Amino acid sequence: MVQTKKQKYLFLAFCLVPTFLLFSIFTLYPLFSGLYYSFFDWSGSAASMEFIGWGNYVRIFNDSIIPRTIMHDYFLVVTKVFGIMILATFFAVAIMQLKIKEAPFYRIIFFFPNIMSVVVIGILWTFIYNPSMGLVNSGLEFLGLGSLTRPWLGSETWALPSIVLPSIWAGIGLFMLMLMGGIGTISKSYYEAAELDGANEWQQFWKVTLPLIWPQIKVSILYIVITTLNGSFIIVQVMTGGGPNNSTHVMGSYLYQQAFVQYNFGYGAAIGVMILVLSLITIFILQIFLRRDKVQY
Amino acid sequence: MKQETNTRNRNIMSRKGTVKRQTTGHIMSRVGIRLPLILWSLAVLYPIIWMIIGSFKSNAEIYANPWGIPESFNFQNFIDAWQNYNIGVSLFNSLIVTVLGSLLTLVLAVPTAYALERMVFRGSTLLFNLYISAMMIPMVLGWIPLFFLLMNFNMLDNIYGLTVVYAVSQLPFSIFVLTTFMSSIPKELEESAAIDGMSPYGVLLKIITPLATSGIITVTIMNAIQFWNEYFMALIFLQSRENYTLGLAIDFISNEAEYTNAWGTLFASLTIAMIPVIILYAIFQRRISKGMTEGAIKG
Repeated sequence: MVQTKKQKYLFLAFCLVPTFLLFSIFTLYPLFSGLYYSFFDWSGSAASMEFIGWGNYVRIFNDSIIPRTIMHDYFLVVTKVFGIMILATFFAVAIMQLKIKEAPFYRIIFFFPNIMSVVVIGILWTFIYNPSMGLVNSGLEFLGLGSLTRPWLGSETWALPSIVLPSIWAGIGLFMLMLMGGIGTISKSYYEAAELDGANEWQQFWKVTLPLIWPQIKVSILYIVITTLNGSFIIVQVMTGGGPNNSTHVMGSYLYQQAFVQYNFGYGAAIGVMILVLSLITIFILQIFLRRDKVQY
Repeated sequence: MKQETNTRNRNIMSRKGTVKRQTTGHIMSRVGIRLPLILWSLAVLYPIIWMIIGSFKSNAEIYANPWGIPESFNFQNFIDAWQNYNIGVSLFNSLIVTVLGSLLTLVLAVPTAYALERMVFRGSTLLFNLYISAMMIPMVLGWIPLFFLLMNFNMLDNIYGLTVVYAVSQLPFSIFVLTTFMSSIPKELEESAAIDGMSPYGVLLKIITPLATSGIITVTIMNAIQFWNEYFMALIFLQSRENYTLGLAIDFISNEAEYTNAWGTLFASLTIAMIPVIILYAIFQRRISKGMTEGAIKG
């Protein structure tokens, strides 16, 4: 290329500097100063800012709601991972191996909720759970199970499990497509060989399909865990706002309440640091846990 | 599981030429495997269709028969949403945030993606990894300082401030997808253009950008859907109702409906928010699902 070193660096600066500047201001700086704010007692105005060292972190350990929010987050993680992975694997295997004509129909329909707004999903499902008009209770009554009807989102026991269902509903399509991509690359000769060796269908699924799509399964699980820990508070905020009586608060929605409703910004920042640390630890542990030798036949 | 592999075996058998009669058992298993697929399709479609239908029902009808078919179609709910809740203003705000946000993301992401993919310089891997790892970091921690940052910049409760925040928040994803697309463009084209005396700026604008169009479209659609649907940052960074984006307006109507019972209006506003997404999905379905799947696979 005919260009001097100076020209090259000028062009590099043109490409990289404005973007990196904005990225630093609006992403890097807020993350680091969030860390900094977590050591202050701060209600929002510059005058009220007071350094309290580890005070906010001590408060986290003494706050009886915190362990519940962590439990709720991991409850969502575990139920979503199992719910989504089992259903998505089942649907992916069914669609790929049946070779049915209407397969594109299912792909298109199942994926659609993935691009719906969380607000729309949350409000739609709030109505589905509506105690008097909702689909769930009317359905139960229609089936003669009227005794099982309850105010789903208004019950301390049932509110959190009720949030799992819309999350699974909205998530399946993406992971089904990821697994279908994996199944599509498996050569049919493996199944024929397994067939000759007398492996039944169930064994073929466990010994051929599953090991060969393990990379996709691993990525899917990691992705569900990351998005749940970093984003489950949105649907919680829309559907219950953390209630009733804190029974659905997850870490993120509790942060929102502490910081932006009660103006405990320093404490909110400390909760944010806790979210960051917990999600990094979880991802790290999960990566070790999911490590499995690459299968080659 | 057992059943569908059964049918696959039958396919293999018949391909091999072994004539195998299609027994009732096989037909049953084919139906059996379809049943969950059909049920799930209904579970996905029914609430969405029901919501759209509900937006044409009167409130009395929603109460009397919430899950049924409407007796008459009327647009009163849409008129109410427009007049009583200024949904038009929110629609316009969402549109601005979406369009400007997507454009700004491109302006910021395309040059960086090109430099990271094609130019050799110290720290390029480090910079790339920095952008990519930002995809895994929970941004909720950063929202508290960001709130005060915007306040100091006089950009709080301002849809243009929100636009900038949105654009930057999608940078890591956009840079990641664009570098992947650009790596498939043959280097010879840029090299010959440079030999012909074209400046690197010209190469970027006239050679790379047109060749990366497919990637740019994918990224833009993904970002646009993201911005159109975004709720939480808007909740934190916008305050007055005339600045509300659609998500906030709908949330507001939904909270009011607890007391006013204006369910029809709520459904109408949900429908308004959904229609652009449905249209985009109808046109770009393959691109969207492919873009999202690839975006997720990076791990």
